[in-house]
Amino acid sequence: MATPFASMLDGLTRQRGVTAALVVSERDGIVVDSNLQIGQDGDRVAALAASLYRKARLSARAAGMGAVSFMQLEAPGGRICAVGGGALVLIVVAESAVNVGLVRVELLKAIEGLSAAGGDA
Amino acid sequence: MSDDVRRLSDELARDPSSRVFVPLGEALRKQGQLDLALKVTMRGLERHPHFADGHDLLARIAVDRGDLERAFDEWDMVLRLAPGHAGALRGMGFVCFQQGRLPEAEEYLTQAAAAGDEDEGVALALANVRAARRPAGSPSASPASPAVEHRSEPRLPLGTAHDPRYLFADVLTDAEQTALLLDRDGLVLAGAYVAYDGRDVAQDVGAELSGVTDSARRATRHLALGEWTSIVFETEVAVVAMAPSPSDGLLVLATSRSTPLGLVRRLLDRCSERARKWLGGRL
Repeated sequence: MATPFASMLDGLTRQRGVTAALVVSERDGIVVDSNLQIGQDGDRVAALAASLYRKARLSARAAGMGAVSFMQLEAPGGRICAVGGGALVLIVVAESAVNVGLVRVELLKAIEGLSAAGGDA
Repeated sequence: MSDDVRRLSDELARDPSSRVFVPLGEALRKQGQLDLALKVTMRGLERHPHFADGHDLLARIAVDRGDLERAFDEWDMVLRLAPGHAGALRGMGFVCFQQGRLPEAEEYLTQAAAAGDEDEGVALALANVRAARRPAGSPSASPASPAVEHRSEPRLPLGTAHDPRYLFADVLTDAEQTALLLDRDGLVLAGAYVAYDGRDVAQDVGAELSGVTDSARRATRHLALGEWTSIVFETEVAVVAMAPSPSDGLLVLATSRSTPLGLVRRLLDRCSERARKWLGGRL
C-alpha cells in the first residue's frame, strides 16, 4: 500500500544523480518510508543521517541560530542531503556530480508536504 | 517542557512578583520558544519596569527575532538603568556591527571589555571589528586575500597571540564569523563559537556536536562514498560548516546566511589549514 510519502520520494529519486530517498524519524532513526535502489540497505544510513541532522539541530539551538533548514554531507563519492520537518527528516543520497542546488530546492519544497503529511506528529 | 522551565514556571506562579521571570524567559529563549519568552519577559517588566536584566533579556529575545532596532533600544534602556552594563555594551556593539556602524561597534565593544566583560566573545569580536575596519586596500581585509601566513600586520589584541581561543581570529573576515576546533569528545581545543548576542557558546555547541565525526564516517563508509570532507547546514540566521580535523577532531565554522557558500568553503579550508598547523605544533 502506498504511503503518504510515496509520490514525494518518487519525485526526488527521479532527479538525476539521486540514488536513494528516505523519510526517517529524527528521534530514533527508524525508516518511515524509502525509495532505494535494489541492493541498498537504508536502515543504517537512515539512522546515521538522522543522528547527524539531530546533532546539527541541537547545536544550532545551543548557539541560538534558530531552526536548521538544510544539511549536506560531502564525500568524494557522493553526498547525503537532509531537511527536517517536525519529527521527521527527509534524506537523499546522491552522486557527487548531482546538482545540489536543484536537490536542495526539491527537498525544501518536499518538506512542506512532509509536515502536512504527519511530520509534526 | 524541561525541568528548569517547569521549576521556574512553578516558582513564578507561586510568586508572580518574583524576578524569576528573567531566568525563565532566558530558558525559553534558549529553547527557541521566542513568543513565549517574550510574553513572560513583557509581563515581568510590567511589574519591574526598571529591572535592567529584564530589559537585557528583552534585547536578546529581539535579536533572536531579528529585530535589531528593538534590541538596540532595549540595551540603550539598560544602560540608562545600569550605566556600564557589560552585556548591554556588548550587545549594542554587535548590533552596530550588524548595521555596518563599525566605529560605534568598536567603541561599544571596547567599553564592554573595559567594563570587565570577561566573555571571550567580546575580545574576539573586537579583534574582528578592528580587522573589518581596516582599509579595503589592506592585504588582509579582502576575503579573497591569500593565506594568512603572508600577512605582515598582527590583527589580534595584545596578549592574545598565544591564546588558543583566538586561533582563527585573523583567518576570519568579519565579526559575523566564528570558528571552533573540537576534539573527538566534543571538547573545545581552540577557537570560540560566538552566538549572535556575543556569548561564547563553544562548550554547548561542542557537546551537541560530539560524535559527528564518527557518525559521518560510518555513514560514508556504509555507502562507500569515501572519507567525508565537509558537512554544511543552514539555519534561520547562519550557515555552519564542519570539516574533519586530525585525531578525529572537528572544525566548526559559522557565518551569516548572507555569506556566499563559495566563501564559506574557502574560509573552512583556511581554518582547517590553521588547525592542522596548530595541532602539528607548527604555530
